[in-house]
Amino acid sequence: MDTIIQNTINGALMGCIYALITLGLSIIYGVMNVVNFAHGDFVMLSMYFTFWVGTLWSFDAVATPAVTFPLLFLFGIFAYYVLIDGTLRQKYVTQIAVTVGLQTLLRALAQMIWKAQPRALPYSIIQGNFQVGGITIMLSRLITAAVSIVAIAGVYFFLTKTWPGRAIRAASDDLDAASLTGVNYKRTYALAFGLGSALTALAGGLLMSFQQVDPTMGLRFGLLSWCILALAGLGSIPGLLISGVIVGGTEALTMSLWDPRARSLIVYLIFVLVLWLRPRGLFGRK
Amino acid sequence: MRSKQRTIKTSLLLAGLAIVLLVPLLLGRNQYHMVLVTTVLLYGVLATAWNIIGGMGGQLDLAAGAYLGLGAYTAGTLLLRWNVSPWLGMIVGGLVATGFAMLVGLPLFRFGVKEVWYALSSSALVEVLRVLFQMWEEVGGPTERYLPYHVSSWYHLRFASYVPFYYILLAMLLIALFLNVRISRSKLGYYLFALGENEDAAEVLGVDARACKLRALMIYAFLVGAAGGVYACLYGFIHPNFFSSAMSTETAILGIVGGMGITYGPLVAAVLLVSFREFLRASLGGQLEGLYLAVYAVILILIALFRPQGIATFIRDAYGKAMSRLQVTGEKDVVSADSPGL
Repeated sequence: MDTIIQNTINGALMGCIYALITLGLSIIYGVMNVVNFAHGDFVMLSMYFTFWVGTLWSFDAVATPAVTFPLLFLFGIFAYYVLIDGTLRQKYVTQIAVTVGLQTLLRALAQMIWKAQPRALPYSIIQGNFQVGGITIMLSRLITAAVSIVAIAGVYFFLTKTWPGRAIRAASDDLDAASLTGVNYKRTYALAFGLGSALTALAGGLLMSFQQVDPTMGLRFGLLSWCILALAGLGSIPGLLISGVIVGGTEALTMSLWDPRARSLIVYLIFVLVLWLRPRGLFGRK
Repeated sequence: MRSKQRTIKTSLLLAGLAIVLLVPLLLGRNQYHMVLVTTVLLYGVLATAWNIIGGMGGQLDLAAGAYLGLGAYTAGTLLLRWNVSPWLGMIVGGLVATGFAMLVGLPLFRFGVKEVWYALSSSALVEVLRVLFQMWEEVGGPTERYLPYHVSSWYHLRFASYVPFYYILLAMLLIALFLNVRISRSKLGYYLFALGENEDAAEVLGVDARACKLRALMIYAFLVGAAGGVYACLYGFIHPNFFSSAMSTETAILGIVGGMGITYGPLVAAVLLVSFREFLRASLGGQLEGLYLAVYAVILILIALFRPQGIATFIRDAYGKAMSRLQVTGEKDVVSADSPGL
C-alpha cells in the first residue's frame, strides 16, 4: 500500500513537468489556434540538446536550460517564420500536415545525430530521497516539480503583467481588436511560438535529470500534453497544473495497480471521456 | 466533343490498367522491385480508403493502423486457431474493423468530437490497441506469432513470390477506387464534401453529419481491415506493432498531400512518394540511419506548404490543359478541369 501511495506521489510530481510541457502547447494552440503535432518532439529535441550540453560542457541537467532555453526559443521563432506562418490562412489540415512533417523530420534527425539507442546524462547533483511517514519521496522529482511550478508561475506573471505577455493574451482573445490597438500579430505569434517551444527546453532539462531519451519519445509526450490540455481546457494556468498532476498520478497508479505497459491507457480513456462529456475541459473558459 | 473527350478518358484509363496489370511480368524476376510495387499498392489502398472519411468528409482520421491491425489479427488468429482461410479471414477482419469503427465512431460523432480532437483521439486509439494486444496473451502477446508455413498455398494465402499479393492488393485498390467514385457521385458523397468544406454550415442546411460521418468511417474501416488481412499474410506473422501510429499518420499525410477529396489523389501520392521514399531508403539508408526519412519529411513539408491543394492538382491541370488544346477549334465551354473523379 505504501509503495502505491509513494508511486502515485512521485507520478503526481512528474505531472508538474507534464504541466510545464503542456503550458507551451497551450500558448501555441490557445493563442494562435495552431495545431502543433510536433510538440512532443520539441520535448524530445530539448532532451537531446540537454544531453549534448550536459556531456560537452559537463553541465548538470538542471543547469542546461541556461543554454537550451534560448536555443529552443530561437528554434521556435525560426520554425514559426519558415513553417507555420504560411499555413495560418490554410485549412487546419494543412497545418497538421506541416507539423506532422516536422515531427517526422525531427525524429529522423534525432536518429541521424544521436542514433537509436537511449541516451542519458551520467548524474545530477539532485540525488537521493527522503522519508515522510514511511513514504519515500525522490528528491529529484520533488525539486523538478518545484522548479516546474515556479516556471509556470513565472509564465503566468509574464502573460498577465508584462506588455508582450498581455499582447499575446490580447491576440488570443480577439486578433482584430488587438491589431487595432497596435499589436503586431506576426511578432506576437512568433514570440508565442518561441516561448511555447522554449518551455519544452526547461522541461527537457528537468526530465533529463532522472530519465533517458530516445528518438520515439515524442509520440508519448505529444499525446500526453494534448490530453492534459483537453482535461484542463484553454485559458486556465492553475487548471493546467492540476490536470498535469491528475495525469501523472493516474499514470503511476495504472502502472502499480495494473500493468507497467498499460501506463498511458487510462489517461487516454480519460482524454476521450473528457472530449465526449466536457469538451471545454474541467477548468476552461468557453 | 463530349463523346470524344470520354473516349480519350476511357482509353487512357484502359491503357493505365493494362500497364498496371503487366507490371509483374516486367518486374516479376526482381524480388526487390516486387516488394516495392506491393508496398506502394498497400499504401495506395490505405490512402484511397482514407479519402472517403478524410478527403471527402474532412475528418482527419489517424487510426488507419488500428483498423489494419484489427484486420491482421482477425485473419491471423482465425487461421492459427481454426485454420480458416485468410480469404474468408480478410472479409471477417474487415467486418471486425467496421464493427469497431462503429463502436468508436458512434459516441465520438454523437458528442461532436471534431477537427484536431478527432485526430488526436483516433491517434490515441492506435496506441491503446497496440498496448492492449501486447498484454492480451491468448491472441497477441509481445512477440510475433507466425502464420502456418507453406511454400505455396492458395488456401493459406502463402506464396513463394510477391506476384499474387500484387494482384490481390491491386484488386483491393480497384475496389477502393470504385467505391470512391461511386460515393463521390452519390448523395452521401455530396453530403461528405459539404461536411468537409464547413461542418456547421452543412448541418444547418440539413445534412445529418453524424450518420454521414459514421457511414464513411465504416466503409473506410472495412477496406483498411480487409487490407490488414492481406498484410498479415504478406509478412507471414502478426505483431502488436502492426498497430502503428507512424503508418496511420503516413496514410493521412498521403491523403492530404495527394489532394483531399480527389479520387486518384491519394493514389498518386502513394505511387510517387512511397516509391520515392523507398528509393531514398535504398540509396541513402546504408550511409546514415534516418537520413532518407529526413529528406522525405522535407519533401512532405514543401508539398504541404506550396501545394496545399495536393499534388494530384498538377495532373488535373495538365489533363485539363491537354483537353482544351485538343478542342481549341470546338466549343470552349465544355472543358471542366475539375470534374469529380477521373
